[in-house]
Amino acid sequence: MGRWLLIVTALLFLCVFLVLPLLAVFAQALAKGFEAYYLAIMAPMAWAAVKLTLLVAAIAVPLNLIFGVAAAWAIAKFNFRGKSALITLIDLPFAVSPVIAGMIFILVFGTHGWFGGSLRAHHIRVVFAVPGIVLATLFVTFPFIARELIPVMQSQGKDDEETALSLGATGWQTFWRVTLPNIRWGLLYGVLLCNARAMGEFGAVSVVSGHIRGVTNTMPLHVEILYNEYNYTAAFAVASLLALLALLTLAGKSILEWRQPELRHAVRMPRDRTRRA
Amino acid sequence: MSIALRGVTKQFGEYAAVENIDLDVPTGALMALLGPSGSGKTTLLRIIGGLETPDQGQVLFDGQDATLWPIGDRKVGFVFQQYALFRHMTVFENVAFGLKVKRRRERPSAPAIRKKVQELLALVQLDWAHDRYPAQLSGGQRQRVALARAMAIGPQVLLLDEPFGALDSQVRHELRRWLRRLHDELHFTSIIVTHDQQEAIEVADTVVVLNRGKIEQVGIPGEIYDLPESAFVHRFLGQVNELPVLLRDGRAYIGPIDISAAAEVQTGSAQNIALIRPHEIEIGQPSSGWPATVVAVRVIGPIVRLDVCADGHSVHEPLEAEISRERFEAERFTIGQRVGVRFRRWQVYPAAA
Repeated sequence: MGRWLLIVTALLFLCVFLVLPLLAVFAQALAKGFEAYYLAIMAPMAWAAVKLTLLVAAIAVPLNLIFGVAAAWAIAKFNFRGKSALITLIDLPFAVSPVIAGMIFILVFGTHGWFGGSLRAHHIRVVFAVPGIVLATLFVTFPFIARELIPVMQSQGKDDEETALSLGATGWQTFWRVTLPNIRWGLLYGVLLCNARAMGEFGAVSVVSGHIRGVTNTMPLHVEILYNEYNYTAAFAVASLLALLALLTLAGKSILEWRQPELRHAVRMPRDRTRRA
Repeated sequence: MSIALRGVTKQFGEYAAVENIDLDVPTGALMALLGPSGSGKTTLLRIIGGLETPDQGQVLFDGQDATLWPIGDRKVGFVFQQYALFRHMTVFENVAFGLKVKRRRERPSAPAIRKKVQELLALVQLDWAHDRYPAQLSGGQRQRVALARAMAIGPQVLLLDEPFGALDSQVRHELRRWLRRLHDELHFTSIIVTHDQQEAIEVADTVVVLNRGKIEQVGIPGEIYDLPESAFVHRFLGQVNELPVLLRDGRAYIGPIDISAAAEVQTGSAQNIALIRPHEIEIGQPSSGWPATVVAVRVIGPIVRLDVCADGHSVHEPLEAEISRERFEAERFTIGQRVGVRFRRWQVYPAAA
């Protein structure tokens, strides 16, 4: 009885807060028919936003991947001075409001910021340009992968790596053949979360972007502009595209998981089936 | 390969894990490092294997200074308590790992690797399991895979860190005997870390007892058990009863029993304790020794354990005595029965130790 109550509660909650809004997005996007939807998506400004969003994610996610693995490796496998400080620092973007994160970059790289003068002298634009958006996205998304990996790596300990080294593997071989396969699910999950956030980030990006249509507008920013112009169909059409990207990544993860043989085979067998010696 | 440690010291922060250790492991020896947790035995093993670097001192392999050799160059096989099998690889791939990561010109050909791995799997009696994943094997089987994997690189030294600690007692017993046989057949130098005195005594030819980062005693198993040099070793190697030694009028007593005749009483020290193993206690007629009452009887296969409360000794600390099943069948001690306790053997230590 209690179990069913729990399940029903969870399902209800899921429906109200997840499924309904998702359906609403698609319903609103298609409210004026497929043609309107198609036109909204194919608008040049919308396309520019899609491309910029994918570009930002394509830069931010790999960089965070490298940083996240390195940080998690250092924290989980070594002891060093300042380790807890590093863990706290990694959490900083979670604690700081994205708007403040955006302001930081304006302060540092903006026209009146610390490096504003020298940047302008070299004709490099950071704020109100693509580099700024990438930086802000990097800042906001950098805890995701490290945070996902640290507990996984800590729980696995160092035995596997030490064994590999004692068997004569180099550090590089150990990483590719032992560590990486051990953490790949955590890593994949971290990458997905990081990617979702990189594509969906609004606050920090909004501050540094300058909202130049077709140039510095990412999808979330574009949705907001369309919405503010009372162009609901177009706004929700782009929003549905964003939602679709998220659904696709989740589907990709499920397929990858399903195709892993050892996960399906990892069923505990009855104890010791050897002939006793 | 012979291994020697010279003045090896390792600190972790303020805490000295091992302190000034000298130890010689001759070629072909099977040595057990025995001690409670925190005694430094694992640290010592890791220093020998190259997983830790000592702060001071030297590690010699065949007389050569190997202190700073990288792990991969030491040719040591490592076996961990939690097996550390690569879970995404099959049994075959696990065992082949050490061969596959070799530099191209040293790496055997694929058929040679396959042959070698099959040989090793046959040796550990797991040839049927080559395409299984570790998760599909029992603990004992996994540990045998780990052993085969360690042996694939042709190590001259095998280092085992509590290898059977996670297994149940029957499998543990089997694997110990099997390891001993394997060692005798293949003649590598093996060092096994354990906190289980029975394991150390059963499997090793030399036992090193460690306590708080220092060596307490080194000896062959029988010697360590029968002639412990300190109260610590005595306690650690098996059950003991501890009784205060009382000095009265220049004579020494355990309870009412006069032990002055045995010359080992250190009358200079005010406080002495006697350590007596359960099988060194004899139970007889009440008139024959220290009067006592039987409070518990447990038949454990070939032996019978009796708990007896000696008169005048704390009732919360009954003495533990072991007698043979035959003797028990003859005497039929029951709970509440009055008996007399005598000691066949004991050893006296200063109480502070």
